[in-house]
Amino acid sequence: MNPTVKLTLIMVLALEISFTQSITMNVILTLLGLIYLLIHRIRWQTLFYFLTIPGLFAAALVWSLLYQGTATNHFAGVIFSRMYAYVFLGGAFSLTTTPYQLAQSLEQNAHLPTKFVYGILAAVNMLPRIRREVATIRSAAQMRGVTLHFWSPVLYFKAILAALKWSENTAEAMTSHGYVEDTPRSHVITISISRCDYVTAVSLFILLQGILFLPVP
Amino acid sequence: MVNLVNVTVHDFTFQYDHAPRPTLNHVNVTFPDHRFSLLSGPSGTGKSTLLKSIAGLYPEFSGHQLSGTITLGEHAVSDIAASQRSSLVTLLFQDPNQQFAMDTVEHELVFALENLQVPANEINDRLDKALAFIGISQLKHRTLTQLSGGEKQKVALAIIVAMNSQVILLDEPFASVDPEARHSLLLNLKRLVNQGKTVILADHDLTEYETIADNVFALDSASRQIKELDRDERYQLFQPFTRPLSQQFSLPQQQPEMMSVQDLKLVQNGRLLLGPSTFALMAHRATLITGANGTGKSTFFSALTRLTNYTGLITYQQKNIQKIRRSRYATTVNLMFQDAETQFVNVTVNEELALSIKHSQTNFYTQHRIDSMLADLNLTEHRNQVLYSLSEGQKKKVQLVCMLIMGAPVLLLDEPFKGLDYQSLQVVAQLLKSAMTELGQTLIVISHQLNGLDGLFNYHLQLRDGQFSYQEALG
Repeated sequence: MNPTVKLTLIMVLALEISFTQSITMNVILTLLGLIYLLIHRIRWQTLFYFLTIPGLFAAALVWSLLYQGTATNHFAGVIFSRMYAYVFLGGAFSLTTTPYQLAQSLEQNAHLPTKFVYGILAAVNMLPRIRREVATIRSAAQMRGVTLHFWSPVLYFKAILAALKWSENTAEAMTSHGYVEDTPRSHVITISISRCDYVTAVSLFILLQGILFLPVP
Repeated sequence: MVNLVNVTVHDFTFQYDHAPRPTLNHVNVTFPDHRFSLLSGPSGTGKSTLLKSIAGLYPEFSGHQLSGTITLGEHAVSDIAASQRSSLVTLLFQDPNQQFAMDTVEHELVFALENLQVPANEINDRLDKALAFIGISQLKHRTLTQLSGGEKQKVALAIIVAMNSQVILLDEPFASVDPEARHSLLLNLKRLVNQGKTVILADHDLTEYETIADNVFALDSASRQIKELDRDERYQLFQPFTRPLSQQFSLPQQQPEMMSVQDLKLVQNGRLLLGPSTFALMAHRATLITGANGTGKSTFFSALTRLTNYTGLITYQQKNIQKIRRSRYATTVNLMFQDAETQFVNVTVNEELALSIKHSQTNFYTQHRIDSMLADLNLTEHRNQVLYSLSEGQKKKVQLVCMLIMGAPVLLLDEPFKGLDYQSLQVVAQLLKSAMTELGQTLIVISHQLNGLDGLFNYHLQLRDGQFSYQEALG
């Protein structure tokens, strides 16, 4: 499915379940997300994390709502299932779409400003470097006899400084590679939204609305 | 028909924010089209600034142009529309880590070509040809963050080739490139010049340029001006770099071991980078490590400092380094990082020096000695400056002084001579020599730059085909 359409559908559904209290809806969305992930051959380990980790948080929430608050059982069930629905909807998007595909689609289909699209993409591509940078900063300080804990301001100062510098350099590098804001670009891969994408997204959305009117919890 | 474009700099003055004086002062120079122009000069004299100004990046991104114009052919750089500029002029940056915005080699090339609005059906063809021209077709699908410094520079040059800019600017492009790759890159640049391109390259290490550069320009550090060198001046400039590299090294025999490596294996991205390798590092001596780009020299240092995972055993004085407390080990085996900024913990030069003095493990570096080190390295007037506002060469020098003062038993140095001019290089070599002879420090140095370092190294450890071995000769 086209990344922009997929993202829009998932965002709308996630927004919708934030304001409705249907356990059935949440469960169906979770199952749809699960099926979609299985079709895309998600790794078993990832699936295991998806099933267990949200459970911990959801259980903690339910516990506090039921025993520390005045929530009904139904509301606790909504919260519990909503947590899973969010995770599986999110996973259905992030595990099946690369940032590069999303960026191309947002640029070509959603017509977002390229500055925004490539800015975000450059930032995403920088994440592994930031992680490595933090480890290196700590080690460099240790060699000078200074131990930086995760709460040390120096660690954040250095990390932010590195990020600022990288952002400036990335902007220079992009400019040097011919990038100019608000000018047309060609596209080696044309990403289109097929009729099938629209039909699937719209009919899925309408079908799901039906659930809200069913006499189920 | 090839478009001929002179690059003319007229009465150009440029000053950074908060800088006490202009970095370039009323510079007049013409870089002729269709030529390979070499721009030499000590670090921190404004070579990068000039190149970035020609590329149109400055003053957009930094600093102020106080006077003058730069023209490409008939048009002032400032008048050329940004969208037209990159087909006319492109800059290859000094730091290989900061050339790219995308994740893979292919995506970055596509990004650049799309920016130039190259028709979609031509992009793949142009991309493949550019990679083949530089000889790196095999890197096409690789992730950029996983390439070595030298590989990144090759990719950056391939992008410029693909973009087909008329004027190619290079800012110390070979600082982390091994001699073989450097040689092939230079030949490629010469081929581009023969095809009608204009190349302007700034560098400190002048090896090999004597035969390749058509014109040689020097930036004078005192007057902040540029002049073209005549034959005699050229000869003098290149002289220190033309002596053949005939360095001979001993093979370690009776020397006590400081560290040893047994069955070391390093794996990167699922590919065996190094090993299994077994060898020793000798105490109180200077060992030079050489090897082509991407063979794993820096990763080996990461293993020695426990910054990366490895299999096998590394010992320090017969003790497994994994069994030594991390904080103690960190001050025992120090690493001078390839990127100077990584090393800094404080904000100004003085603060950084004070930190090293506070935690120093030796009293060899007295205040008097430190002052004269700074004077010899032309750093005295920068003592109150913010570290991050220094030039690359100056950062490197401050970094080196700080790491020497620490006085750790073992000092690993990853490309410590990167960005240093010849005079600074001599001073640094002398400092390292005295750290070894007078302090008994064990030095392990990765360097591509070998000129002007005669007699510094005792041993030569070569990394080839994933194996380390001691060699008597270079190459």
